[in-house]
Amino acid sequence: MELKFTLNGEKRQIDVEPRKLLIDVLRDDFGLTSVHSGCDTAMCGACTVLVDGKPVKSCNLLAMQVQDSEVQTLEGLSNEHRMKILKKSFLKNHGLQCGFCTSGMLISSFYLLKKGRESDDDEIREAIEGNICRCTGYVSIVKSIREADDILNKTSLEELEMKGEGR
Amino acid sequence: MSTFEDKVNGRGLFIDDVRLPDMQYVAFFRSEYARARVKHVKADFTSRDLQGIAAAAGEGSESDVRTPFREPILAGDVVSYVGQPIAAVVGRTKYEAEDKLSEVEVDYEPLEPLVDPEGAINSEPILPDAESNIIAENYLGKDFNVDASVVVEERLYIPRILTNPIETRGLVAHYDGNNLTVWISTQSVYSIKEAFSRSLSLDPDKIRVIQVDTGGAFGLKGGFYPEYAVVALISMRTGKPMKWIESRSEHIVASRPGRGAIGKIKLYADTRGKVLGLKGDIIVDAGAYDTGMGSFAASYIAYQLSGPYAIDRQYIHAVSVATNKAPLGPYRGAGRPEAAYFMERMMDQLAKRLAIDPIDVRLRNLSSSSFVSPTGLKIDPARPFFERALREMEYERYRGMKPGVSFFVLVPAASGGEGCKITVRDGLVHVWLGGSTHGQRHDLLVSKIVSSELGVDRGSIVYELSDSGELSKGIGAWGSRTAIVGGNAVIQACRKLKDEIVKEKGGYSPSMLTDLNKSVEVFADFRGSLNSFGANLATVQINELSQVDVLDVVCYYDVGRAINESVVREQIEGGTIQGIGQVLSEKLAYGKDGQVLTSSISDAGVLRSTDFRGRITVKIAEFPSDLPHGAKGVGESPTIGVPPAIVSAIENVSGVKILNTPIDPLSLTRRENE
Repeated sequence: MELKFTLNGEKRQIDVEPRKLLIDVLRDDFGLTSVHSGCDTAMCGACTVLVDGKPVKSCNLLAMQVQDSEVQTLEGLSNEHRMKILKKSFLKNHGLQCGFCTSGMLISSFYLLKKGRESDDDEIREAIEGNICRCTGYVSIVKSIREADDILNKTSLEELEMKGEGR
Repeated sequence: MSTFEDKVNGRGLFIDDVRLPDMQYVAFFRSEYARARVKHVKADFTSRDLQGIAAAAGEGSESDVRTPFREPILAGDVVSYVGQPIAAVVGRTKYEAEDKLSEVEVDYEPLEPLVDPEGAINSEPILPDAESNIIAENYLGKDFNVDASVVVEERLYIPRILTNPIETRGLVAHYDGNNLTVWISTQSVYSIKEAFSRSLSLDPDKIRVIQVDTGGAFGLKGGFYPEYAVVALISMRTGKPMKWIESRSEHIVASRPGRGAIGKIKLYADTRGKVLGLKGDIIVDAGAYDTGMGSFAASYIAYQLSGPYAIDRQYIHAVSVATNKAPLGPYRGAGRPEAAYFMERMMDQLAKRLAIDPIDVRLRNLSSSSFVSPTGLKIDPARPFFERALREMEYERYRGMKPGVSFFVLVPAASGGEGCKITVRDGLVHVWLGGSTHGQRHDLLVSKIVSSELGVDRGSIVYELSDSGELSKGIGAWGSRTAIVGGNAVIQACRKLKDEIVKEKGGYSPSMLTDLNKSVEVFADFRGSLNSFGANLATVQINELSQVDVLDVVCYYDVGRAINESVVREQIEGGTIQGIGQVLSEKLAYGKDGQVLTSSISDAGVLRSTDFRGRITVKIAEFPSDLPHGAKGVGESPTIGVPPAIVSAIENVSGVKILNTPIDPLSLTRRENE
């Protein structure tokens, strides 16, 4: 079947088997290695992508279900200011150990930070509830998101640019 | 290797990201019965085509596996657990391979499975050539009679727990007609290489095992599995690269879970709480085949059962029993958490029986001098450490919260040493370590040691993932060993490199080093024990639905010398959540027919970010070891110490006696406040 959708800002058209899952189209047909398969049952969140701006588990969606939609993977969010701040904070605060859940964690936290007001730790924990991490016990992940959130909400963009963090 | 920057940009190279030209996909047809005779199989590859034994590898595999308990790479006339591979199929895509599974034909004649390990001890053997279901049996210590005022006896149980790394098992194997190259998500390329050699009767010089980014392991990925041998053999048959990636449902039924231990423990004590003797039976549910860990676990638990306590009389019967379940493997701690849980629970029961403060009971059994237990466990003076731990953990401050406290010994798998290779090339210092990182930040360990030993800046140090084609000899990353023996190996390699440069050039400077193209390899042997102490304190509250909220976990662990304090802290935090999970929810459940009842990673009880919102306080104790960097182990400490402290706190708050985990909230509704 013919699938037309926008992937990371580019219009795409591809012939897919109707049964093929979105995760496999993203990985196999577009080589997007950020999307990880962890549980096959929409429970671990390693395969999280944004579909029309909302976090979705791509292992539990047929590719044909994103017909005419906009799909963003971690690769496609690399120029987003909020994502840059998040990645930097994850690296600094060791928000990853093995790194397998990281793409999904980043996408779920990006979605949280997009709402543009400060989140408390409970909101952060709830935002990543659908993403399982077996390594960190979530402590350093919550810390990473907390710090990114603080930077984004307590500092104006101009100040960040001056500090070299907005680039 | 991909860097952490690569990983936050989605550019890691995990095993499912490895794609070779003309690569094909393997899928496995697995047993639907816990025990059955296989009357007929029709598939691309069956036990008639691919024969062999999956060799034991990784932690616990030192002991030779007894013949009847060795696992065939594909089941022959009998299947012995749900999920056991019976046949393999190959497709050009993952979808095609999975489709072909529907064409596989298997006729079974179901047999009555043995699921309960205690019952299996005296039952007819589940395997045709075995004389009984006892895989290994040992008596540790010496039988004794003692005149004791009190005898406390309990049966304690920890069910099987899945390792559940977020990345499952997987490999790509390619045989080019002469050499076998394997890319794999692993804790050790050396255990895997040796097991390939033994399982396939291949010359080890013709096998190269390359680690790719490894998405967690927790004991799972040091072992060798039937699927690995099958994938390699199919590549040898077809000449094509073959890939297999385990699905989570395969992980649940057919990977090797840990724990699964019963402790029937008896403490003989005087009225003041001094333990005069310890007797017990340790029964390990080893599953259908011995993978090394199966036969090793029971004796290993028995060996360290008395933990930090100076108990002069000990007699422990350790037995590993075959049941119709997937074979046992190591899960973070691998025997250590079982021992500590059994002992700490018993100390609390003794305290309750005598109405003595559990802290006092512990103090009464700790020695101010070194102690060697009747089973051979060597410990440093434990009493001063515990007294200090109580102060550091601020026990008095928490007292009103009815905290649980645990005290344990970490016995690292340090013996055997580790290998390291350093190659200086084009101004960069590349380092290979025998143990394979799977989240513990070996990159930071290596760069810290290399920069301080060789004076080069961290930017020019490149930590490389393991590769048996680079470093020829290594052991692996498990059993809290890498900081100890891996760190020591890096130091020895640095010093050898420096010495050689001094010999050649008459002096040494970092710029002399980076101007060279040079390589050294060492194997730094290590014998002996490097046991360290740790203590935990935990507080909980129990809500109106009888659900347990863990409020505070305080950890005071001796790490020798923290090479990177934040990494040590993060290892402890991650392990703490696994420890909480063990108490609150983690369990691999089986039905009476041996069917696996756990159906997903959520079902298996792995904690989510909202399941624990309490506070973890980490206090690092540094009593350096004699090694040049002073390190001791840490990775497994939290999974050893946290569960008994939390269970103790729950018992204190609820008044309900707890012997088994995970805790059933319903059981806490009976509040028999004592």
